[in-house]
Amino acid sequence: MSDVLSPAPETQQPLPPVKKPKKSKETEVGRSGVMTWVWNTIALLVAVVMAFPIYWMVLTTFKTNKDLISQNPTFWPSTFSLDSYKTIFDDKDFLPSLQNTVLLTLGAVVLGVAVGFLAAVAVARFNFRGRNFFIVTMLVVQMVPLMAILIPLFVLMNEINMTGTIVGVILAYLVFTVPYVIWTLRSFIVNIPSELDEAAMVDGCTQWGAFFRIILPLTMPGLVTTAVYSWIQAWNEFIVVKTLMATNGKNTSMTWLTFYSSTPTRAADYGSQMAGGLLVSLPVIILFVFFQKKVSAGLTAGAVKG
Amino acid sequence: MSVTTDETVTRSENQGPAPVKKLQRRGVFAGGQYIPYTLLLPAVIVLLGVLVYPIYRLFDLAFQNVNKFAYLKHPEKAKYIGLDGFDKILHDDTFWEVILRSIYFTAELVILSMVLSMLIALLLNRVSNWVRVTVFTVMMFVWAIPALVNGQVFRWLFASNGGVVDYVAYLITGDETWKNYDWFADPTVGLYVVGAAVVIWGALPFLVLGLYAALTQVPKELMEAAKLDGANGLQAFFHVTIPVIRPFLMISAALSFIWDFQVFAQIYALRNSSPESGYQTIGTYLYMEGIVPSRYSDASVISIIMIIMMLAALVFYIRQMLKIGANER
Repeated sequence: MSDVLSPAPETQQPLPPVKKPKKSKETEVGRSGVMTWVWNTIALLVAVVMAFPIYWMVLTTFKTNKDLISQNPTFWPSTFSLDSYKTIFDDKDFLPSLQNTVLLTLGAVVLGVAVGFLAAVAVARFNFRGRNFFIVTMLVVQMVPLMAILIPLFVLMNEINMTGTIVGVILAYLVFTVPYVIWTLRSFIVNIPSELDEAAMVDGCTQWGAFFRIILPLTMPGLVTTAVYSWIQAWNEFIVVKTLMATNGKNTSMTWLTFYSSTPTRAADYGSQMAGGLLVSLPVIILFVFFQKKVSAGLTAGAVKG
Repeated sequence: MSVTTDETVTRSENQGPAPVKKLQRRGVFAGGQYIPYTLLLPAVIVLLGVLVYPIYRLFDLAFQNVNKFAYLKHPEKAKYIGLDGFDKILHDDTFWEVILRSIYFTAELVILSMVLSMLIALLLNRVSNWVRVTVFTVMMFVWAIPALVNGQVFRWLFASNGGVVDYVAYLITGDETWKNYDWFADPTVGLYVVGAAVVIWGALPFLVLGLYAALTQVPKELMEAAKLDGANGLQAFFHVTIPVIRPFLMISAALSFIWDFQVFAQIYALRNSSPESGYQTIGTYLYMEGIVPSRYSDASVISIIMIIMMLAALVFYIRQMLKIGANER
């Protein structure tokens, strides 16, 4: 951290102001060329510091036991070994918990996006009593800490005998998916000019036709965005699972990871812990990196023009 | 164009009343008597069930003495004790230690992450394109790692046996004792150095990318005008850049506060699923002392206090978001 801290303050006074007005353009370009390399070096250093934990995690998974227990860790493994991954796949709870995670996440995403989308259309396209109240509520509700309502959720699920079931957790996840989906999709739908669906209806589209042919396709980027976000949230969540489900012996990948790492016999086996951590976060990493561009893509761009 | 051609087909397939009538019906729909409410219904039912009712139960539990699982099984044992639950928690010294620790830790996290991300964002404004792309790519991967795994990775980085941070410290200082330095022996070091490092490392990508995007919104003409009027780099930064990016700064500071105040996953994983009392800030405390030992009423009281403490930041954040939302429309 310290090597990030120390060079960085220089960024604030990059151009000595006194000399500047006198210099001609060429010298300024030349000097800023030198400066650019200074900044480049510092920025690359930042990148190295930021990337190092990930590099170390990946590297650890390929190290042999001999390398791992060494007091002088090597920055490159002497031999590549896949033993850590083998240990993980040999763990009898790993694949079942992964399966639970997939079911849970799919359920939470599909249900959350479906319910949220309907409400978002209502909020974005209709004027009705209590509309503003509803919008503000969605924003407020997103901010309620999940941890704070965990206890009443547990009590409630216990009363209706839903603890230890995937459905119970899916329902609990709607707490954070639905308000987020409504809030985010609302701005996507509001930005679709209503002239578009009006024009479609003037041209003979039915209400539902206009919905399926205009609103739905144009909301697609928004749906993808919210689905991806909800997916990541649901995949990474583990406190709710630990409280509502894992007490009955059912795990998701994340809770499996916490149990696996805190088993006394495993506590020092960082090779397999890192391999486990990497494997359970891989789906999220792939999704995240893959959709990053789409998320920021403009949405109605071209729809009106074209 | 394609819309019109396809449309004739669907219209004949569907019920297809006369176009004129449809326009009238559309008017009725747009006036919106029941359609919006029908669309809202599932969301309202869901939120009443999993949010509003639980919040009601949260307050209900806070005024009872349901501190054992048996009390859930035999509700007749539970009774209302008024504010005694609050009284008990508020007179607990450990609780006040936790509150203070939460405030210090949150302050450290918010300030450091905001300053660091600002410096990195400014830096990115001055580097070559390929360097920027490199940094962004790294940030993206850091962002993608789940918080729980972050904590786990940092536990390994800072391990006292074979941890790489100890080894690097040894390489730099040449002092053998560094090789077995235990970062977690003293919770103050463990939390405020290692704990802060995990959380900030995970928080930087969002803040840096956001701040960088905000910085690109600062009009070049404004900066040039400031320079012409004789402002130096620092003055231009504080009097031009900061005011322009203020909305984003405010929102991200409020969000950082909200996230950092209830930080849980990273610390939980950093201490391998059992954070000692010296590591407990309010989120961890609530989980370890309230939820794990099934002290439902105590946990409810702590939850309510936690929400109240976050209220100022929450209200501020919500007002900012509504302002932006209003501009959008």
